[in-house]
Amino acid sequence: MPLFKKFGAAAMAAVTAVSALASAVSADEPYNGYNYDWWNDAVPSQNGYVVDEVITGVDLGVGAFNELNDIFVDEVTGKIYLADTKNKRIVITDEKMESATVLDTFKYGEEFPESESLIKKTDLNDPSGVFVTHNNDKTLIYIADTMNERVIGCYEDGTIFREYTRPSGDLYEAEVSYRPLKVVVDNALNVYVVIKSITNGMVQFSTEGRFNGYYGSNRVETTAEVLQNAFYSLFMSREQMRKRVQAVAIEIANCDIDEEGFIYTVTSSKNAEKDVLKKLNPAGENIYLNMGFDNMLFGDMPLYYNGQNFASAIDDVDVDENGNVFLLDFTKRRIFQYSEELDLEFIFGGEGNQKGLFTSPTAIENLNHRVYVTDGRKNSITIFKLTEFGGMVQDAIELFNRGRYQDAKEPFEEILLRDSNYWFAYIGLGNAYYTMGENEMAMKYFYMHSKGGYNRAFKEYRMDMIRSYFNIFMIVVIVLIVIAVAISIVRRRIKKKKLKAASTGGDGNAV
Amino acid sequence: MRFDLDMPAWKWPFYVARHPFEGFEDVRWKKAYHTKVALIIVLCLFIVTVAGRLMTGFPFQVMYDKVFNVVPLFSSSVLIFFIWVVGNWSLCTLFNGEGKMQQIMCVTAYALVPYIISQVVYIFASNILTRQEGSILTFISYIGILWSAVLVISAMKAVHQYTMPKTIIAIVFTLIAMVIIVLVLILLISLFQQVVMFGYSIYTELMYRFSM
Repeated sequence: MPLFKKFGAAAMAAVTAVSALASAVSADEPYNGYNYDWWNDAVPSQNGYVVDEVITGVDLGVGAFNELNDIFVDEVTGKIYLADTKNKRIVITDEKMESATVLDTFKYGEEFPESESLIKKTDLNDPSGVFVTHNNDKTLIYIADTMNERVIGCYEDGTIFREYTRPSGDLYEAEVSYRPLKVVVDNALNVYVVIKSITNGMVQFSTEGRFNGYYGSNRVETTAEVLQNAFYSLFMSREQMRKRVQAVAIEIANCDIDEEGFIYTVTSSKNAEKDVLKKLNPAGENIYLNMGFDNMLFGDMPLYYNGQNFASAIDDVDVDENGNVFLLDFTKRRIFQYSEELDLEFIFGGEGNQKGLFTSPTAIENLNHRVYVTDGRKNSITIFKLTEFGGMVQDAIELFNRGRYQDAKEPFEEILLRDSNYWFAYIGLGNAYYTMGENEMAMKYFYMHSKGGYNRAFKEYRMDMIRSYFNIFMIVVIVLIVIAVAISIVRRRIKKKKLKAASTGGDGNAV
Repeated sequence: MRFDLDMPAWKWPFYVARHPFEGFEDVRWKKAYHTKVALIIVLCLFIVTVAGRLMTGFPFQVMYDKVFNVVPLFSSSVLIFFIWVVGNWSLCTLFNGEGKMQQIMCVTAYALVPYIISQVVYIFASNILTRQEGSILTFISYIGILWSAVLVISAMKAVHQYTMPKTIIAIVFTLIAMVIIVLVLILLISLFQQVVMFGYSIYTELMYRFSM
């Protein structure tokens, strides 16, 4: 019953949030900003991002796209690479998005002659991932050529310098298909490939194309099936166990790499609770676990209506130069922006056909505070720009994350003036007052927003109180002790007198 | 001290708390079952439960009520107490227990005093302690619960004149009986709800017919 009530309350909050905003904000955007409060209820918030423009293939002069599946923004050159899957091509454009070039034919050069290639194809077949990096002033383009079962590494002119094909060793099982979906490359030019229905993690290749092993596998969810298997394994033979359905980890759906070389992965299962977003160190371990984000829920809070699960299914992840993490949710077609410390900043986007809404969002990238989202069914790129409020929040949180709490005080106050529901501002102000030594104010702001912060401020506050009232406190304590001792002495004397009176009175029953 | 038992009614709960083993035998011997005192203790239990939800220091709050609702608190303190009394009485009358319903209620209420006191201390301390010192609070609440549990066992033993093993068995079965009572209550409530709804729908139907 309480569970149902909670969901009902959440739904009501969401509805009121939406209806309240519809009248309050001049309805420029087809979606309404919201955020989650202390109780994980949705509360209305200001939009952090608004639609700037929507670009199609026709606008770029290369003909309509057919299933845009990936976008990559090169931060060095400002070029934008699009994986136009069903047209079997890569479209290269720039930040202005006025013209574009098409990359769809390739050639084998001296560096990697055709005789070395296992595939020997000079065109693409359903490319669904693209990644670009630079090495010695050369632009290296990596394309996940899905149906050709290879990842191409090529230069801008289409000369292939390496192919990353199905690993031949024992580690990669023979019956498993090799359909690369996404690709990232680290600073040492190791290639990490997300492969369809591989549950062991990403496949890692060295620069030369050698299979190094799996990287960053997810943990197995503790479902009823897993527990059942563990129970059966107590008394079933190995042969019998092999016939049972094995519980496997959820496959990695997408990935990104940040400036410092950390790789981020997401899983797009609605039922996943573990490892929805991971930040992997070079050893393939999830850093977020050590930061205490093990049980964190990403995206929308899970809601069930009529037995249907409306939890978020995170399709793509993108990390900007400040460490902000963007998650693309396929369930509600929304984008969630988290700060470096995984505090939810903004939610925008939605499902629909208007500008700023999506029918089948596939990939997300950002450059200079502009967010690019590709839609595989509308076949367009939607570009969001930061609002004034959004910029303010981002600047404040950046100051906050660098530890400059006092500098962040004014921006956070301004944010609260504009949106008193914006919960992170309370934490920011609490920290500002805490560093200024105004513990009582800090406690006021931390209350119902941060237990840890409140605890810290309260500790200082208590110390101050004890210091300033120590004399009075001790005097009161001593007086109380004296009174207590005096009372007990008096009582004992009275008792003794009574006993004496009783014994001299000759009452035999007493004692 | 056992001969000096002529004390006012309100002192009895504290006396049994200080004498967990022979205290309830003394209550039985002196027939010190004071219903008013017991009811006041139950009221205190309710107050302490509500205060625990409302006044526990922020770092130690586990439930965050956006909207405060007293009904679950009432049912988790007062209602559970009376279900225990009824369950225990209905079970122990079958198991040759000597206690009457009023007596069971009184001794159970007496046994709850350490728990109530520990909760009061808990609520006060939670407002002056930080989370690092939280183990003190856990200690306080465990002490209270343990003490009250010992007293409840002792009370049941004395009021029904059972041996120790029989007391333990009776308590376990009482807990099961409580679960059954709660289930039956829920069933009854939903049944009555349906009956009321049925009557109401007939009423509205009639009103539609005749208010033309």
